[in-house]
Amino acid sequence: MNKRNRTLSSFIMHIMILLLILPLLVLVAWSFSKSWPWPNLFPREFGLRGILHVLDPSSRALKSLLLSIRLSLVVTIVTLIISIPAAKALGVYNFKGKQFIKMLVLAPIIVPPVAVGMGIHLTFIRLGLANRFTGVVLVHLIPCLPYGIRILTDVFEIIGESMEQQARVLGANSIQTFTNITLPLIAPGLISAGSLVFIVSFSQYFLTFLIGGGRIITFPMMMFPYIQSGDRMMASAYSMVFILATLVVLIMMEKAIKSYYSAKNYFYL
Amino acid sequence: MKKTIKPYIMLLPAMTIFFGIFVAGLSMTFLQSLGYFPAIGLREFTLNHYKEVLTDHGFLTSLRFSLWIAFVSSSISVVLGVLLAYSIVNSKHKKGLEEIVYKLPVIVPHVVAALLVYNILGQSGILARMAYALGVISQQSEFPALLFDKNGIGIILAYVWKGTPFIAMVVYTVLSNMNNKLSEVALNLGATNKQVFWHVLIPLTMPSIFSSFIIIFAFSFGAYEVPFLIGPTAPRALPVQAYAEYMNPDWSHRPYTMTINMVLTFISFLCIWVYYKIFKLLNKYNG
Repeated sequence: MNKRNRTLSSFIMHIMILLLILPLLVLVAWSFSKSWPWPNLFPREFGLRGILHVLDPSSRALKSLLLSIRLSLVVTIVTLIISIPAAKALGVYNFKGKQFIKMLVLAPIIVPPVAVGMGIHLTFIRLGLANRFTGVVLVHLIPCLPYGIRILTDVFEIIGESMEQQARVLGANSIQTFTNITLPLIAPGLISAGSLVFIVSFSQYFLTFLIGGGRIITFPMMMFPYIQSGDRMMASAYSMVFILATLVVLIMMEKAIKSYYSAKNYFYL
Repeated sequence: MKKTIKPYIMLLPAMTIFFGIFVAGLSMTFLQSLGYFPAIGLREFTLNHYKEVLTDHGFLTSLRFSLWIAFVSSSISVVLGVLLAYSIVNSKHKKGLEEIVYKLPVIVPHVVAALLVYNILGQSGILARMAYALGVISQQSEFPALLFDKNGIGIILAYVWKGTPFIAMVVYTVLSNMNNKLSEVALNLGATNKQVFWHVLIPLTMPSIFSSFIIIFAFSFGAYEVPFLIGPTAPRALPVQAYAEYMNPDWSHRPYTMTINMVLTFISFLCIWVYYKIFKLLNKYNG
């Protein structure tokens, strides 16, 4: 690669990243503004009213943020627990109907959530799952499972089964094999699958709104009316808090998994 | 015997969820679209709702609108995403901040992407303010209405903003894991950078570009939030239309709603199938 090409690439890259980031900078400016009337290019006065309102312990915002985090963590854990055996079956074994199941698993990415959500809504109401935390967790599994299973299937395809068989030959029982061999080996996959699943669940609006029936109010639902009514300051403050909360949870998740498994094995990284 | 059923047992929890919620939900939608809805005493199967929906002018404009948004936004995202991934790989000396920063839009929900577009393109947004400062316009209303417009420009930009980094992330992962030797061999044999890009890198990354296109296409075709927040009231995007119909208090209207949902689902699959066929055809010619 010659030098001129490298400079050109670097230029294109910086321009594109700038274009992606600029809207977020406008968002930051709005969330710290106190008054920003037309046609000023910059806020006339800065203030923390928006952020403070979101973080005020007495406001419903903080409560729904915590509910959102709890909900998405539960969804992430359940998704990973279900995905690990499924991904291993799809990644390591050969069996009849494998191709069909692989396609079925990815189908929720293609099928619009409105179609599935509206179809299952009445059943959830009858089963007493609608308007409940459990019901929302269950319905979040639909958009989340494809990502969990897909990423972990790739991981299992790469690592195969030989390490586990070795452990079994040396006398480890199946639980020991799983915790000491399988889990550390798939730890990097767990981090990426877990992060993506968390993001998908945490950002979910429509399914939460439909199945939660206005009782389970997550953070994206809290900010929706502000965006809809065009209250830029509040909407931006909510969004800022949302983005920061996502980052914090993702970093903590990664740290937790890494520190737990790096102590135990030598293959990882 | 034990060996043969093992994978099925491992798949059982996942399949319970898939059949219990996903397949069940979709089947219910399908049955209701055929007019079978025992909850309100409808038990006769009919194709009338499909006839009604498919000849309805409002439905057809919504469909065209949704397809337009999904196709244009996904295509632009793919082009920009590949360009971004390629330029990062090409200009990189060591792992920099850029590598993390460009991924930020991936963690931002679509609801917020709509807000960002609103902040920037709205008639009191940053661009309008800049135009005013430069003297291009003298009042808010002179700035073109890019939001809530019939061409869905705002919606498309929101999806492009979300889609580009997603594509870039996928392609970048493939590019950086790819064996550099292939490009070097081609360069040694006298290929230009352009030729390496089109004949080595693009064919090798094509499968992942292809599958990520499907994901963002299907998403923007079937999602509710963005068109609801910054889209026009006429034509409405199909998912927004479907939810508006779902909210109709008259339950006998339900089969009609579910027919919209089924057509939405069917077209999602159809687009993916067509795209898949084209992809295969192209691949054949690339050898």
